[in-house]
Amino acid sequence: MTSLGTPIQGVTLYSFTRAFHARQYDLDGLIRKVAAEGFGPGLEVIGFSSLRGFPDRIDDAFVGQFRDLVAEVDLVPTSLAVNVDTGIRRDRLMNHDELVEYMRKQIEVAARLGFPIARVQISLTPDAMESLLPVAEKYGVTLALEVHADQHGAHERVLALRDRYEKLDSPLLGFTADWGATVTGFAPSLLEAYRRRGASEDLLRQVVELWNGFYAEGPPNTQKVHGERFGAFIALAARNGRPDLGIDFGINGTGLFGPAPLDTWLEIMPWVRHVHGKFFGIDENGEEPSVPVRGLVRQLVENGYTGAISSEYEGWHWNNWQDPFDIIRAEQAVQRSAAADAGSAMITDAAEARRILSSHLAQPVRG
Amino acid sequence: MIADRIIEQGTLSTQDGRTAVEVRIPWYRALPGSCIAGAALTIDGVAAPEDSLRWTMNNRTFRFEELVDETGEWWYPLDSAILSGDLPVQDADGEHEVRVDLKLYIPYIITDHGVLHIEEHDTKTMKVASR
Repeated sequence: MTSLGTPIQGVTLYSFTRAFHARQYDLDGLIRKVAAEGFGPGLEVIGFSSLRGFPDRIDDAFVGQFRDLVAEVDLVPTSLAVNVDTGIRRDRLMNHDELVEYMRKQIEVAARLGFPIARVQISLTPDAMESLLPVAEKYGVTLALEVHADQHGAHERVLALRDRYEKLDSPLLGFTADWGATVTGFAPSLLEAYRRRGASEDLLRQVVELWNGFYAEGPPNTQKVHGERFGAFIALAARNGRPDLGIDFGINGTGLFGPAPLDTWLEIMPWVRHVHGKFFGIDENGEEPSVPVRGLVRQLVENGYTGAISSEYEGWHWNNWQDPFDIIRAEQAVQRSAAADAGSAMITDAAEARRILSSHLAQPVRG
Repeated sequence: MIADRIIEQGTLSTQDGRTAVEVRIPWYRALPGSCIAGAALTIDGVAAPEDSLRWTMNNRTFRFEELVDETGEWWYPLDSAILSGDLPVQDADGEHEVRVDLKLYIPYIITDHGVLHIEEHDTKTMKVASR
């Protein structure tokens, strides 16, 4: 029998994009705020968001300041989110060797800053992941490929990666499970944002019905089905005289609110090294109305998961009327309550988190 | 997307027939010059000629065709870039409607139709900033 998991509480600074972009906090100030609020101990950062000059111009002085700050406020670096910018050139996609070097530079920065995981993205093929394994080994960094809507744990691309991981049998290759793949409803806070943009109640009802229909059908297992669903949202907006909202409906309805069942995560659970606790808002009852946070935490606990969950608030895109810090505080309370209901607890102590994370992952990072 | 952040209020400047405004990235992460695919600058309904547009970031000034191959200079989310063009502003003391259109490539999202691009715009009313 699997012993119960004890996920580590944490947050990604992405949740506070609106405040950071508005220059309300600099990086130092935002990390101090996260620590003071008790949103850690886990800390996740997106390289291209939070680090000026990433990855080519990260000097040793900055690395030292970052490490000193994290130590001072007693946070635990979990994941550096890095990007697979295959389409950076206008004339062609990156070739294989360019891609490996592009990723190597970012993974090296993860190691220097003390992040044991680099979050990578779905455009890396099984062959690319295999090519990056020596890079992961060199730096002692676990590569956790993010499974994000419109993919999910049982998607053909994800299963192909899982099968290659199984063959390579390295503890340094795994997944980041993003809860946005297993959403149970169109986020009410986004409906409110459309309402504020003048969308009628009738149109909003139709949007919800369309999404609920896709949820009932199950997740798209091919890119073709995904494209058809995207098109259906655009057509719905046009039919209702709001073509200006069509792309927004499509991007959010397919790319943020993935309709896969919870049990799709079981296909890859042994390889889940990190979790994005993606969510969109908290309702008047203190619950997440469209992401089944309680069921997701229970599933992790029951499957013995001892890695970190980075609370990842995505509602900032449209919600400019609520405080993201209040929303994160409320969502983490739901996570702790759910872990307790499942007979376990979230880890909120930094020392314990360090100990558990180092046994959850393969080997110490070599910065 | 945070398109309402594109134009920095109070940064309109004009001199000798050239007009400039400071702009912020409407996205959460840095993008290189090669992903800044185009822009338009319109003041009071009059657009600056396309070939007169210049993009300044990290203290370097580019024509848009020069940005196409620029993967070394990045537009960081906290930094303002400067968009400028040939456009005389007649009434230096009055309010002006400033519109900026931006087209950006999102280099990690590859769709069936190629690299995803987004088109965003912002309009704000302001006076010419005093120097």
